Amino acid sequence: MINSIIATLIQTIFILLIAPFAMGLVRFVKARLQGRKGASPFLPYFTLLTLIKKEMVISDATSWIFRIVPFVVLGSSVALAIIVPLIFTGSMLSSMSDFLVFSGILAIGSVFLVMGGLDTGSAFGGMGSSREMTIAALLEPVIIMTFSTMSLITNSSTISGMLVSQVNFWEPYSLLFILALMLIALAENARYPVDNPATHLELTMVHEAMILEYSGKYLAFLEYAAAIKLTVFAILISNFILPSTLVNISIWGPGAIIGGLLWGILKVIAVMITLGLLESMLVKMRFYRMSEYFSIAFVVSFLAMIVALFSSLTDMNLQYHVIFSLLTLICVVLLFGRVRLKAILRYYAISSLAIAGIAWGLVPLVSAEEKSHLWLFAIFTIITKVWAVPFVISRIGHVKRSLTNLSSFMRPGKSYFTAVVLLIITYFTLKNVSIVGLAQWSSLLYTAVTLIVLGIAMMIVKRNIFSQIVGLLIIENGIAVFVLATVGSLPIVIEFGIFSVTVATAYILAILSAQISDLHGSTDTEDLRELTE
Amino acid sequence: MNPIILSVSFLVASMVSTMWKSKKYVQNSNIALSVLGGGFLILYAVPFIFHLREKVTTHWWMIDGFSALVLALIAFIYVASLIVAIRYIGHEYEEKIISLHQYKLFFTLFQLFVLCMVITVLTNNSLLLWLALEGTTLFSTFLVGLYRKKTSIEAAWKYMILCSTGISLGLVGMLLLSYGAHVSGVEGNDIFLISSLIENATIIPENIIKLSFIFLFIGFGTKVGLVPMHTWLPDAHSKAPSPISAIFSAVLLNVALYAILRFKFITDSAFLDPSWTNNLFLIFGFLSVALSALMMLIQVNYKRMLAYSSIEHMGLILFSLALSPLGAAFALMHMIGHTFAKSSLFFASGEILIKYKTTKIPKIKDMLLRARYTSILFILGILAIVAMPTSALFVSEYGMFAQTIVQYPKTAIALFIALGIIAYAMLLLTINMVFSKSESGAIECENEKWNITHSVIVVEMLILFFLAFWFTTSQGMDVINAIVKDFLFIK
Repeated sequence: MINSIIATLIQTIFILLIAPFAMGLVRFVKARLQGRKGASPFLPYFTLLTLIKKEMVISDATSWIFRIVPFVVLGSSVALAIIVPLIFTGSMLSSMSDFLVFSGILAIGSVFLVMGGLDTGSAFGGMGSSREMTIAALLEPVIIMTFSTMSLITNSSTISGMLVSQVNFWEPYSLLFILALMLIALAENARYPVDNPATHLELTMVHEAMILEYSGKYLAFLEYAAAIKLTVFAILISNFILPSTLVNISIWGPGAIIGGLLWGILKVIAVMITLGLLESMLVKMRFYRMSEYFSIAFVVSFLAMIVALFSSLTDMNLQYHVIFSLLTLICVVLLFGRVRLKAILRYYAISSLAIAGIAWGLVPLVSAEEKSHLWLFAIFTIITKVWAVPFVISRIGHVKRSLTNLSSFMRPGKSYFTAVVLLIITYFTLKNVSIVGLAQWSSLLYTAVTLIVLGIAMMIVKRNIFSQIVGLLIIENGIAVFVLATVGSLPIVIEFGIFSVTVATAYILAILSAQISDLHGSTDTEDLRELTE
Repeated sequence: MNPIILSVSFLVASMVSTMWKSKKYVQNSNIALSVLGGGFLILYAVPFIFHLREKVTTHWWMIDGFSALVLALIAFIYVASLIVAIRYIGHEYEEKIISLHQYKLFFTLFQLFVLCMVITVLTNNSLLLWLALEGTTLFSTFLVGLYRKKTSIEAAWKYMILCSTGISLGLVGMLLLSYGAHVSGVEGNDIFLISSLIENATIIPENIIKLSFIFLFIGFGTKVGLVPMHTWLPDAHSKAPSPISAIFSAVLLNVALYAILRFKFITDSAFLDPSWTNNLFLIFGFLSVALSALMMLIQVNYKRMLAYSSIEHMGLILFSLALSPLGAAFALMHMIGHTFAKSSLFFASGEILIKYKTTKIPKIKDMLLRARYTSILFILGILAIVAMPTSALFVSEYGMFAQTIVQYPKTAIALFIALGIIAYAMLLLTINMVFSKSESGAIECENEKWNITHSVIVVEMLILFFLAFWFTTSQGMDVINAIVKDFLFIK
């Protein structure tokens, strides 16, 4: 009992102490990456102290809300540092770390920040607040979806419980969960690509716009709160990646405490350096593209949820090959509605890459001698289908630039509809066909057959020679998946032969299509009607 | 001896055709190498055909009477059409219809194309068989589209798209079959071997076998040109250079049929009863004959007429194979006879094309005057292909007809009507072509000179004539029956 109280105290003090350093470290790393010398990572300590000493200037137009905001925001951040298990598990208040409480505390912080921004009545504050509210509204469902996935897997609604159950990081749902968590962390802490933390001078700023009117002590509080929140998220994410580094308070002792603290420092440093790298590579998104960012985050967390639900409902472990085969199918369905040759080839390349991914995902599941075959398959696929085939076709397409808009009998919406209908029909048809022993790879079989069906449909529906080429290539991809689903691996000579056939087919068809477009002046298959006597 | 040695002459010939810069060298080296290679293949095949040598089965190769027979047909037509091609393509080159580059490309691809067919019939590995069969499509696409005209490129496009799609579906069937063997405990790479699949056919699950045969039949059936997957065939045959049309019609279709028959054997041995596959054969065979009879009536293009006739004959062979075991023997005779008759017809049509520069029947006038030798040989060929007596095709069609009447009397009548229509239409078109007079009255024209193509056609006609007698002797019947046992499951 007393141990757990001490643990909570140690953790809170640790976070409070290290938070300014974390903030300083990101700035330092970014400065170095930009070729500047950069201020010392410890500068934020002095900045905060200076700010506290300074006089405050508060507008007459403000009400009491403006004055309580810094306290509430700082309070919410400290509350996070207290309840979220960061160094120890089983500490005093960790049972309160229910994910709804967690997101509620985050929401309180942002709501008060918004009110503080609005209260002064300045233009910048209002703009910042409106943006912050948009972001918060979009972010909230993502947070809940993400954490409910984890709570479904671990049967615990508290973050503490999720960490204790030691979920393997390499499980597909866990990987998706962590990806979603990272996207949330970037948005919640107002980092790139959602917000620019470095400047007050941009019209598009969000967090900085809201605290623009604060000065002195209050500003110090708000900055400190931001630093604490960043640190909490950093350590939380690394805890989900490495759940075994948390110290359980049942093994209580000076060694364990120091070890835990060292891990904490290490995690902060590692995450901050990564963040610095990331922010040097990314650019800030336009605000109107924010919805895309959050849809991606939502889709990732939703996918994690689907995978987790599948795993728990069918007690079949949803593994990488299944996810990659889903990806293959999604790419082909997206390809179905596209009009530009370049976009189509890009989706084709991604779906081929996903097929290589299927082979990679199968590697741990097969016997030793098949492993090397699968690796070879993956490498061949990447060389031929991701690189060579799209290259050959796009080179021809590049020459005939005017002809690469592929007309279709159907508009994109209808094409997507057709594709989805085909997916469903194939699913129900295959359900009634039982092939001995294929239950193990049923998802692969489904993918293979669907790819073949979609390929044939593509050749029929679209009336352009390029779409016929792509249709044929999709059929060949389907057969490649079929090989994986059934016999697993082919003799190397044959494997090589089949891949060369694919490349040769693409090459010959590309040359023929160039000749057709030269002679006919179009690539519409409707024009290929001369031989009908 | 490893059969891979057989491929050397093809590879050398194709390389030489790419590298040598002069037309004369390309021509001479191709003749020399093809006569050498083709002669060697025939010598290699003959002992197997007469069962003087035992069947050879290794991991990569399987040579029995049937594959040796198809091999011998390939080799003969290969040499014959190469000789004709030297004249035909050489003529086009002199007329500046094709460039030297196209001339060399023709021979390079031609050699590789034939090599792929040779590998298809000799291999024991089903996947190698698939690769080689797909290779025939890949190498022959530019042969079909050699002229770079609107129509020939269009034909090449249809040929490539349809055959590639079809053969890809065939691969699905093969993989399913191998998978079936894999589940029932066949070890390692044996699951891909045709010989071991035949041995283990009975333990492979029944539904897998059925599914896989349907895929194989539809897939390779596209290449055979079965209705309704035939649409590429008339286009490709009519637009390709005549020697290529000849080799397509005479052997390529047989090679594809060979692949189907190998898998039919596996399927039948699994069920211990050929009736399931036979029904498929009957339906598709009959459809092919019926459709080509209807299409034949409206033809105005003599090469398309010959192409539809190929569909008809493939249909007949398929139909007759299902009337086993006696019908299958006649089907085999028909296959041999059709190879010789159809190739000589396409050679002759090449001569007509050179003379008149058109494939439209109404535009051909005074043929008997302007091309007397070709006219006579063309009429003889048409008579042979519609199975007039003393043609080998008469023997086989008579035999298969007798079998049909015994087993399916009503279908036999429909078939008889269809064949009658075809014979009528073909003869009518030919007579229109050969005996029509131009309206402008007398025209002066130089007499046609006897050339190498005519000699080749005469040789083929003589073989056809000789085969007709040989098939009716008991010795000939024995050889054919022995070959039938190699590829057909007989209850």
